Amino acid sequence: MKGIVKGMGVTLKNLTKKKITYQYPDVPLQMPDRFRGVQHFDPEKCIVCNQCMNICPTECIDLVGKKNPDPEKKGKVIDTYDINFEICILCDLCTEVCPTEAIVMTNNFELATYSRDDLFKNMEWLNDNNTNVRKENSINLQPKSIPSKAKKEVK
Amino acid sequence: MIRTEELLLNVGPQHPSTHGVFRIIVKLDGEVITEATPVIGYLHRGTEKLAENLTYTQVIPYTDRMDYVSAMTNNYVLCHAVETLMDLEIPERAEFLRLIVMELQRIASHLVWWGTYLLDIGAMSPFLYAFREREMIINMFNELCGARLTYFYMRVGGVKWDAPEGWIDKVRDFIPYMRDKLDEYEQLVSGNEIFLARVKGVGKYDAQTAIDYGLSGANLRSTGVKFDLRKNQPYSIYDRFEFDVPVQTEGDCYARYLVRFEEIKQSLRILEQAVEQFPEDGKIMAKVPRVIRPPEGEVYTRIESPRGEIGCHIVSKKKPQPYRLKFRRPSFVNLQILPKLLVGETMTNLVTILGGIDIVLGEVDG
Amino acid sequence: MSDQKHVTEMDPKEAKKEIEENEVVEIVEPSPNQAKLDRLVDLVKSNIAEDAVEEAYINELDRDLPSIVIRSPYWLKTAMMLKESETLKLNYLRNVSGIDYETYFEVVYYLLSMSTDNQQDICIKIKADREDPSIPSVTSVWNTANWNEREIYDLLGIQFPGHPNLKRIMMPEDWEGHPLRKDYEPIDPEV
Repeated sequence: MKGIVKGMGVTLKNLTKKKITYQYPDVPLQMPDRFRGVQHFDPEKCIVCNQCMNICPTECIDLVGKKNPDPEKKGKVIDTYDINFEICILCDLCTEVCPTEAIVMTNNFELATYSRDDLFKNMEWLNDNNTNVRKENSINLQPKSIPSKAKKEVK
Repeated sequence: MIRTEELLLNVGPQHPSTHGVFRIIVKLDGEVITEATPVIGYLHRGTEKLAENLTYTQVIPYTDRMDYVSAMTNNYVLCHAVETLMDLEIPERAEFLRLIVMELQRIASHLVWWGTYLLDIGAMSPFLYAFREREMIINMFNELCGARLTYFYMRVGGVKWDAPEGWIDKVRDFIPYMRDKLDEYEQLVSGNEIFLARVKGVGKYDAQTAIDYGLSGANLRSTGVKFDLRKNQPYSIYDRFEFDVPVQTEGDCYARYLVRFEEIKQSLRILEQAVEQFPEDGKIMAKVPRVIRPPEGEVYTRIESPRGEIGCHIVSKKKPQPYRLKFRRPSFVNLQILPKLLVGETMTNLVTILGGIDIVLGEVDG
Repeated sequence: MSDQKHVTEMDPKEAKKEIEENEVVEIVEPSPNQAKLDRLVDLVKSNIAEDAVEEAYINELDRDLPSIVIRSPYWLKTAMMLKESETLKLNYLRNVSGIDYETYFEVVYYLLSMSTDNQQDICIKIKADREDPSIPSVTSVWNTANWNEREIYDLLGIQFPGHPNLKRIMMPEDWEGHPLRKDYEPIDPEV
C-alpha cells in the first residue's frame, strides 16, 4: 500500500501546478525558424537547373522550363512547377541544393484537406505561400553564429 | 459435463497495446496461452529495395522512418557506415553534436517506452508525465533541425545544422530538470505494489537464451550480460566519457524496466560531460565530395540504439547508390523471442511481455 | 575508425570535379587480425574438411574484419563447430544479410563471442547458385537465424533446407517473385 500512497502524493502535488497543455487549434503554434514546413517557390529566381527534382528522394517535384521569352537573355525560365504533397516528406533536400534560393522552406505546416487532389500544389500556390519564410536556408550560406531569438520553447 | 475447448484469438493488427500494426495469433486454453504466432510485415515499405535506387544522402530520410521513435540513431548508423567505408575524419564539433542528439534521443525514446509500457499495464498518468518531458527534448530537436520526429539531421561527414545560440545551454538546463523528474517518476511508479505484481517474474529468460536469440540492448542486459556497444566496441567519441552499463540479473520484465530506467540516468551523465567539453568553435562538416561514391567494398557498422544493436551493412560498387543496403533492425531480432516467452503465460501477461521487449513496428517491418 | 594503415586522401578541389578518386596508400605490414584469420582457417580446415574454406581475407575497409567464405555443403557442420569450439565460442549471431550479385547469391553472417573476453567480430559468407539457390539453415545452431533466414527467403528467394518454418515474413503469402532480386519485375507496377 505504501507505494500507491507515495504515487498519489506525486499526483496531488502536480494538481496545483500550472497547466502545460497547449490550446493548439485555438492558439496558433509558433515553430522555430528552422522548422521544415511547406515550401515557398519564387519563379523569378528559378534558373531551371533541375537539381531539386534530381535530389528529391520521393520524386515528388515536377518541373518544366521554357526558353527565356526575352531574346536578349540566355538560359531558361520556369514554366510549371508542381509538388505533390501526398508523397513529399519535407526533408529539406530541395532547398539545400537550390543555388538561387528559389525554393525555400516556410514555417507553415497545416496541409490537412478533405481531398487528396488538393495536396497537389502548383507554382501559383507555392508562390503565394510566402508567409513565415525561413531565414536561413542553404547549408552553404549558413552564417557562423545565428543571432539569438526570443525564447520559443513551450513552457 | 463441462468441456473445455481451445480458443483461437486474433490480437491486432490494430490494437493499442501492440504499438503499431502487429498481429499475433494466440491459441488459448482457458486463459493460458498454448501457442503464439506473430504475423508481421504490415508496415513493410521495402526501404532496402528503395535504397538501391537512391544516393546515400537520399537514403538518410528513409532511415528516419524506420525506428521513428529514435530517428537520430538511425541517421547515425547509416552515416557511420558510409564514413567507415570512405575513411572520413569527422570534425570534433560535429561528433559532439551527434553524440548529444543521440543521447537526448535515447532519453526521449526511453520516455516513450516508459509511458506507453505503464499505459499498457494499466497506469494512465505516467504516460502524460513522460510525454511532458519528451516534449522538451522534441522542442530542442525542432529548434536544432526543424522537425519534431523525422529529423534528417545528420549527413555523411557531419551534421546539417550547427547548434543555434543558447541551444547547448538549454541542454545543460535540461539535465538537472530531468533528474528531478526521474525522482518523481520513481516515487510515482517504482514502488507501486500493483505495478510490481504485474512485472516481477513475468517473461523470464536466462542469459543463454538471450544470447541464442541474438537479443541486444536492455533485453540482453537484463539477464546479466554486460554488453553495450558504446563500451564494448566504442564508436563516435563514446570512449571519452564516463558512464556505467546498467545490468540486472533476473531477466524478467521488472529487470528490463530497471535497466532502461537506469539508462536514462546514465545518458544524462554522458550529456553532462558532453556539454562541458563541447568545443567552442569548429566545423560541422568534413570535406566530402559532392557526389558520394564510397570505394568498392563491404562494411557492417553497429551502434547502440535505445532498442539494441542497430547495424548497417553496405555493399558498395563505387556508385553513388548502394549496391545492397541492409539494416540489422534490433526490434525485428528482439521480437523473435516473443512466441517462446508467451507459452504458458496468461493472456493478460501478453501485453506486459510484448511491451517489455520494446519494439517499434516501423523497424520490425523495415 | 581505428584503421591506420589504410589512408584515404581527398582532393581539396572537390567542387570542380564530379568524381573523386580515392588514393590508397600501399599497405606495408600485415593486418593485426591476420593471425586470428589464420587460426580460424586452420580450425575449420582441421575440424571440418580441407576444402571447406573457399576463400579467406581481411576486410580492411571494415576495421580489418576477418572474413571467410565457406562452401555451402559444410556450412551447418562448421556453424556447430564455431559455436562449440572452446577457443572461439561464437555464440552470438548479430546479423544475417543476403546479397544478390547477379551471377550468384551470397549470405553473410556476422558472428561474435559473448562468452570470451576477446570480442572479435567474424564475418562468414556462403555462396549460392543463381538458379535454385539453397544454403543449409543454421536456425538449429543460433535461433537468431530463424526470422532472418525467413526474410532472406522472402525477399531474395534463397532456400534454407532444415529451417523449421520457411514461410514469407514481410510480403503476403501469395506474393509473386522476390523483391530484392536485381532482376525483380513487379507484376503490378501500381502497387
